[in-house]
Formats: sequence, C-alpha cells, structure tokens
Amino acid sequence: MRETFTKKFWLLMIALLTTVVLAACSGGDDDSSEGGESDEGESTSGDEGAEITAWAWDPNFNIGALELALEHYDNEDFNMEIIENAQDDIVQKLNTGLSSGTMQGMPNIVLIEDQRAQSFLQSYPDAFYPIGDYFNPDDFAEYKLAPTSLDGKQYGLPFDTGVTGLFYRTDYLEEAGYTHEDLVDITWTKYIEIAKDVKEKTGHAMLSLDPNDLGILRVMMQTTGTWYTDEEGTIQIEGNEPLKMALENYKALMDSGVVKLNSDWSQYLEAFNSGDVATVPAGNWIAASIEAEESQSGLWKVAPTPRLDMEGAANASNQGGSSWYVLNIDGKEAAAEFLGGTFGSNVDFYQDLVTEIGAIGTYKPASEGDAYQFENEFFNNQQVVYEFSQWMEEIPQVDYGMNTYGIEDILSAEIQQYLDGKSIEDVLADTQTQAENQFK
Amino acid sequence: MKKLIGIFQANNLFIKIFLVMVISVIAVSIMITYNSIRMSTNLFLDTFSITNSKIMDQITERFNLFTNSIVSASLEVETNGTIKQLLQVEHDTASEKSIYYYHMTNEMKQIFAEVDPNDANMVILSNQQDVFNMNYIKWQVDGELLANHEIIDRIEKSDTDIVYQFEQSEVTNGVPMVIASKALKLRSDEIYGYLFFSLTEPDLRKFYESYTSEGNNVLLITPEGEIISSNQEELIGDSSLELLSYAEGVRGEDLEYRNINVFGQEFVFLSQYIPSMDIYLVNLINQEVVADNVINTSDILLIAIVIVGLAVLVAFLILRKMTVSISQLVRQISDMARYQFNKPLKEAGGYETRKIAKAFNYMLNELQDYVQILMNTQDKQRKAELEALQHQINPHFIYNTLASIKFMIRQEKKETASNTIDSFISLLQNSLSNVDETITIRQELDNLKSYVQINQARYGERIKVNYLISPDCLDLLIPKLVIQPFIENAFFHAFTQKKTGYIQILIANREKNLICEIVDNGDGMIADQLDNKTIKTKEKRQLFSGIGVKNVHERIQLLYGKDYGVEIESKPLQGTKVLIKLPLQS
Repeated sequence: MRETFTKKFWLLMIALLTTVVLAACSGGDDDSSEGGESDEGESTSGDEGAEITAWAWDPNFNIGALELALEHYDNEDFNMEIIENAQDDIVQKLNTGLSSGTMQGMPNIVLIEDQRAQSFLQSYPDAFYPIGDYFNPDDFAEYKLAPTSLDGKQYGLPFDTGVTGLFYRTDYLEEAGYTHEDLVDITWTKYIEIAKDVKEKTGHAMLSLDPNDLGILRVMMQTTGTWYTDEEGTIQIEGNEPLKMALENYKALMDSGVVKLNSDWSQYLEAFNSGDVATVPAGNWIAASIEAEESQSGLWKVAPTPRLDMEGAANASNQGGSSWYVLNIDGKEAAAEFLGGTFGSNVDFYQDLVTEIGAIGTYKPASEGDAYQFENEFFNNQQVVYEFSQWMEEIPQVDYGMNTYGIEDILSAEIQQYLDGKSIEDVLADTQTQAENQFK
Repeated sequence: MKKLIGIFQANNLFIKIFLVMVISVIAVSIMITYNSIRMSTNLFLDTFSITNSKIMDQITERFNLFTNSIVSASLEVETNGTIKQLLQVEHDTASEKSIYYYHMTNEMKQIFAEVDPNDANMVILSNQQDVFNMNYIKWQVDGELLANHEIIDRIEKSDTDIVYQFEQSEVTNGVPMVIASKALKLRSDEIYGYLFFSLTEPDLRKFYESYTSEGNNVLLITPEGEIISSNQEELIGDSSLELLSYAEGVRGEDLEYRNINVFGQEFVFLSQYIPSMDIYLVNLINQEVVADNVINTSDILLIAIVIVGLAVLVAFLILRKMTVSISQLVRQISDMARYQFNKPLKEAGGYETRKIAKAFNYMLNELQDYVQILMNTQDKQRKAELEALQHQINPHFIYNTLASIKFMIRQEKKETASNTIDSFISLLQNSLSNVDETITIRQELDNLKSYVQINQARYGERIKVNYLISPDCLDLLIPKLVIQPFIENAFFHAFTQKKTGYIQILIANREKNLICEIVDNGDGMIADQLDNKTIKTKEKRQLFSGIGVKNVHERIQLLYGKDYGVEIESKPLQGTKVLIKLPLQS
C-alpha cells in the first residue's frame, strides 16, 4: 500500500514538474507573440473600427457644426476625428477611393454637396450606407430629400439649406451712395451697375470670383428655376436663355473690372476678410466665414439675391447646401447613430447651431425656435436667420441631376474662350456638343 | 538559542543537503536567466539593428521617390509652355486674369497629380505675387509675404536646382513644413516665377512613422543640426550638433550601427544621408526600451523564480520525507540501546528507511527469539534443578524422624509419637505428592506446623514457634518451601548459645505485596556470615529438602523478577529477621 503511494507521489511530482516547465515555455511564447502584436497594433491603430473619421470642408461652418454635434452627442465611447479637406480634394479622394473599390483610408462620415450627391450615389450605390432607419426623413425639408436619396433609400442626412443672399459691406455701399433698399430685389444687371459705382467711388472690387468655380452662374440660373439639365436629365445648354443671360452677366462683371479674381478658397475668404470686396453673393453658410473676421462686426448686412432680368425670376437661389453621408465600411452603425442622434433629431442642437455657427438646418421641428428670431450684431442686428428662412421658401426648385459638375468643367473652359471673345452662341453650342458626347 | 541548536542538530542531515540543493538550484537558475536575457538582448539588438538598417534603406527609398516626383513635377512645370507663357505676360483686365487663372490652375492640376499622393502641396508664385495653390488646406499662402520672404533669397542664391528648406514661421502660418523650391528661369537666367512644393511635418512623418515604435525613433536633421521632423514631436525644431556630428561621422561609411550617448541616454545610432533633400535620416534606438518591450525580463525572472521555488519546494518535501525518517530511525535506535530492546522500530518514511527499519526489526526479532530461547532453556534447567531438589526429602531427615518416633514409642509417649507420625505423614504427603509449584499459605502453614511439631517432638519445646497470619492471606499462593528453609535454619543455628527462644512467623499483605517475616531472638549472625543478604552456608548439612536458605532468594527472583526476593537483617545476640517479599497471587 505504502509503496504504491510513493510511486504515485513520484508520478505526481514528475507530472507537476513537466506541467510547470511546459507552462513556462508556452508562457514565454505567448509573451513574445503578444509583444509582436502590440507593435503591429501601434502602427495600425488608425484602422481600428472604434475611431470614426469625418471629412468636411469649411472650418467655420461645416466643421464647426460637426464639432458642435460632437459636443451634443452623449456617448463617451464615441470618438470622432474630423479631418478638414478642401471640397475639391474630398471629391477627388472619394472618386479615387470609391472607384478603386478598396475603401482604404476612406472616412466614415463625409459631407457632400447636394448638387454633387447624385453623381456619387448613382456611380457607387454600394459604397454608401442607407441611414433612413436612423432618423425620420419626413422631418426634413422636402427639397433636400430628392438629392440625398436614391431608389427610395435615404442615403444622406440633410444638413444645411443652401439659400443664398447678397452679403454686403454697408460702409462701402453707403460711400457709393446706396442704401439697403437699393439692394433689395434687384436684378444682376442692376448689381453690375452698382458694382461699377462702388469700384469707381471706393476703389473696392464688388466681388471675388474663382474662374474655376462657376457657382455664381448656378446661383443666377436658379433664380429662374432652370439648370444645365431638365427633369429627365437631358442636357440643355444650347438655347438655355437663363444660362445665356447669366453668362452675359458674368462677362459683364469681368469686363467691368469689378471682380477680384482668386484661385483658391483661402484667397476667396481673404478677399472679403481683408475688406477688399464690397459684396459676397453666396449661400448663407458663408456668413460663418464673414463673421470670422471679428473686426468687421457691424459692417455687414444681407440683401436678397439678385435675380436674372427675366419673367418669373425670384430673388432667391441656392448654393452649396450639403448633406452628411455614411460610407459602407466598419463603424458605419456608430457613425449613423451619431448623425441620427444629432443632426437627425436633436432640436436643442439645431438652436445652438443657429446661434453659434449661424447654420440654418433643414430639420423642420427646429425651424420654429427662438433662435430663428436672433438679431445678429455682426450684421447690424439684422434677423439674418429669419430672413434666410423666408427666402428659402422662394427658391425656384430645380433637379440638379448627376452631371452638374461634369458639365461645368466643360463650360468653365468654354467661358475662358467666351471672355476671350468667342460668341455666346458658339460657346453654348460647343458646350452642348461636348457635354452630349461626354455624358451620352 | 539552545532550542534552535537542538533543532539544527536534529535536522542536521536535512539542513545540509537542503542548503546544498537550494544554493545550487538558485545559482544555476540565476546563471541561466542572466545568460539567456543577455544573449537574447544582444541577439535581438543585433537583428533589430540589421532590420532597422534595411528599414532605413526603405525610408530613404521613399524619400527618394518623393524627391523624384518633385523633380519630375518641377521639370514638367518648367517645360510647360502654357505656364511659362502665362507667367511672363502681364494680365490687366479681369477677363485676362480669369483666363490666366483658369489655365494656370488647370495645367498645375495635371502636374500636381504626381506629388499629390504624398500629401504634398504645389504652389506657384508669379512675379506679380499671384499665388496658385493646389491645396490651400496644407499651406495657406500669402503671396506678398512669401514674395518678400528670405526663402526667395535663398532660392536665388542657391546653386542647386531645387532647394529644400525647413520653415516654421509666419509665412507657413506657424506650421512646420519642408518646402522644396525652385526658381523658374528662362534661358537668359531671368526668373519668371517660383515653384514650391510643401510638405507639412506631420505628412513628412508619415514617410517613416509606421516604422517607429516606442524607443525606436527616427529624426531628420539638416546639415545645420536642426531637427526638422521626428516621431518624437517635442524634438522638432531643436538643434543637436552632437547628433549631426555623429551623422556626419557615419556618412560615407558602410551603414553600421554604433552606440552613442545623447539626450542623457544610451542609443543605438543609425544614420543615412539623403542627398536629394540634403538631410540626415537618423534612427535612434533606445536599447533599454526596445529590448524591454520585446524581451520581457520581468516575465523571465518570474518564470525563473517560480521554477526555483517549485524545485526548492519539491526538494524540501522529498528531502524532508527522507531525512526525517532517517533521523527518526537514528533516534529510535539510539533510544533502544538505552532502554528497550524488545520494542520494534517504526517502519515509516522513505523506501530506504523502511528497508533499514525492516531489516533492523528482523534482526531484533531474531535476536530476541534467540535470547528468549536461551533464557527459557536456562530457566528450565534451573527449574528442573530446583524441582529435583524440592522433590527430594533428605533421607537423613526421614531416618532421624523415624528414629525419634521409635524413641517416643519406647518411652511410651504414644500421643506424641502418634502426632509426630501424623505430622510426618502430612509433611511427606505435601512434599512428595503435591507437584504444583505453588501452594496456598494455608497448606504451607500446615507443612510448617508439621515440621515444627516433628522438630519439637525430637528436640523438645525449648524453641517456641508463633504464627501471626493475616486471615486475608490464607488463600494466597506462594511457592513451595519458601519459608521452611528459614525456620529450619533458625531451629538448627539460631539457638546454639541461647538454649531457649522463639521464632515468629508473620504473613501479611502490605502495599500489594505479600510479606513474610521470620523473626527469631536467637544468637544472630555476625557480618561475615551474611553475604548479600543471604546466608553463607558452606557445610553439607542435613536439610529437610534440597532447598536451602541459599536458593530461596534465587528461586523467588527466577519466578517473579528482581523486585522480589529475600532480605536478612541480623544482629549478634539479638536475633535475625528474614523478610521475604512475594507478589500477591491467588
């Protein structure tokens, strides 16, 4: 009995020793492999799903709004990195990334201008994540739903309205002998006249333009409810009277020497922040950038957008309203929840958005708040937001289609020839031909 | 203290072996641990440095690709007729400017695609301070500021084509960046514009950042010693001439790592010169941090400690088991020599101890058996002798008694003769017929009385005999012929000078022993006659049986052990007192 016990004891000891030695060995292996993993982990931490990235442009406006949304979002686990990129850069990177199909380095949330949205949605339908379930699309202004959805699925969360206005320097205009009333409900022809006076009397340019950005043409054109394409997507450049008139106005502006040219966005901002130009006809979102130059507080006001001198033209237009999109990659749910919980449903957030950023959202439940009556000191106590919301209702509706920017690329090249003396009919006809060749 | 020494002595064997084992286990594991850590650290650092020198090559390659893209982009700008033409002409009207801006931007966009993947920016500054900026987010350029900045002077002064400069000032809006710049020149050396490629420090860092880790740092140093980029952001903008001198020292040699001491720490230093950008790429490896990250010293130590602990524990248990049993065995054996030979050893402990104990016990048993047999044989022999003696009634006694009876009959003392014959018969009966070794005191008393009666009949009644027997002792057993020899002795030797006297026989139960006292008030004995409390008897005398005074003591001790026996006290002329101590038997 005793002997068997001893034998058992020895066996136990040997087994124990073996276990310990093996455990020690395998433990060592674990450590080394862990070490390796952690090293890799450090270098690839950017690819982790937990971190949400967002791409947007305009730090004063869109990025400011995102940051505000992040403050209002009550989720400690949520981390978002906001990356500022030029809009052109975002468009180019999205095109590169989405067409390669790898989605490598793509953001979770991206801001896309409404006028561009359809070209992305239709070209890369699988790349975007339908977020209609995360908010109620019916809460948003109807005109924002068409560009942000495709085949009945809601892909974009509507953000700001692109309603335009004519921001102007009261001091320069007064010096030239104009009052606010002189700027209300004017035509572009009248605007050019005023511009000439301002240039003559104050030496300041009336506005700043980038030859590569034909936004001003679109603003002019939409006052009449026309576009480069009609509802069916047919390209209508040749014989497009509003476009023709817009181009003529554009050339007139250029020829009259009231334009300060810029070659990029920063120079555009610099033009009015430095006090070089007297007016800024643009979407309401530019207000944030104008207000960024605090020294000019009280020197600015907003008038309605000039209209084209045509029957049925309204003194209201749209430029650059945009919406948020979620890409169909890891982290899409977290990103969609974030958007749904802030831009999609938070009324308080929208009130802060109006007062702090000056952004006018398209979320209907938020449009009745007190903030809309807010008198903005920077704009001579004008009820800027309220006025924009009034003009918003007058915007003639158009279908942007998916080729707006493609056509504009062709048009901008033609415009240079037009400025160089080519006849307007030829310009339109050539653009029509080129566009048809490219998009059919 | 004494206790401690005692414990130490008791566990002497164990402590010695255990100490030797513990010391050697610990020594071996310390040496193995130290060596394995040292060897793996060295090996790791060696391979790490080799790997890093390969990585340095790769980083250099990336920088070269970048500079190549810049070179080719700048070549394209230079050879682009449109740009050249647009920059040389003055554009007065807005229309002209619009066309100028449009085409400049368009042409540049195509060229920009070459450097764009590196997040670099491309800027052209015209002599009229027109700025064409491909990515204003990366560098918001103020034309006037840039045109009057010393960057331009440096470009104009430099012999080389493309000048790399590190800037972190107003002109870059405080963002640290590397600016590759080139003056666009006509053949006549007239400058018609300036071309810039900027790369912000965070974008520059992306070239090498993925290769870095904690303790494995990369720095870019200008030939002036300024650190323009590093994964350790706090170093950016610092100057380190020390590092520069090391880098310059390594330049031109085969890429080998060396150990240096900078920033108050030991580093493995690798360096490469990137001629295209005129900077030194420096890799600083903090040996301790890197080795610590990969070689988990504390884990190795922990494992070593655990193994040592387990080994010591196992050794302790096994040794303890072995030595304790051996020590116990030793203690038992030494105790045995002192006290008990018949107690077997406990067969416990390890295999060896149990075998030893077993063998020892076997031997002990054998020895005991042997001793037992020997003692039994001796006892038997002795008993046989004594029995032989006690069964043998001295024929002289019979002869003398019969002769006495004959005289009594002649003297017609019928009564006395008849009594004496009765006593004699009973005496013979008890002596011869009763083969039991022990008899009751009552029987012994009968025998004594018979004997005394015969003697008194023969020699007269000058010696009186008194019996004082405790009644509770009457049924106790005593060996035969224990008291008789002393009475006989008293009769025949105590009263040679004194002619009369008495003999008293006392039997009582005292302190759980049976005590018989035979006291006479006869002559007594002188010391010579007493030998070790027995009586020296030399002469062959006519005794009643073969049992003499001499063998009583011997017999009692043989029967009951050393605690019992006979003691004799005697004083001359006063008497003798014999004390017989016997166990209570019933």
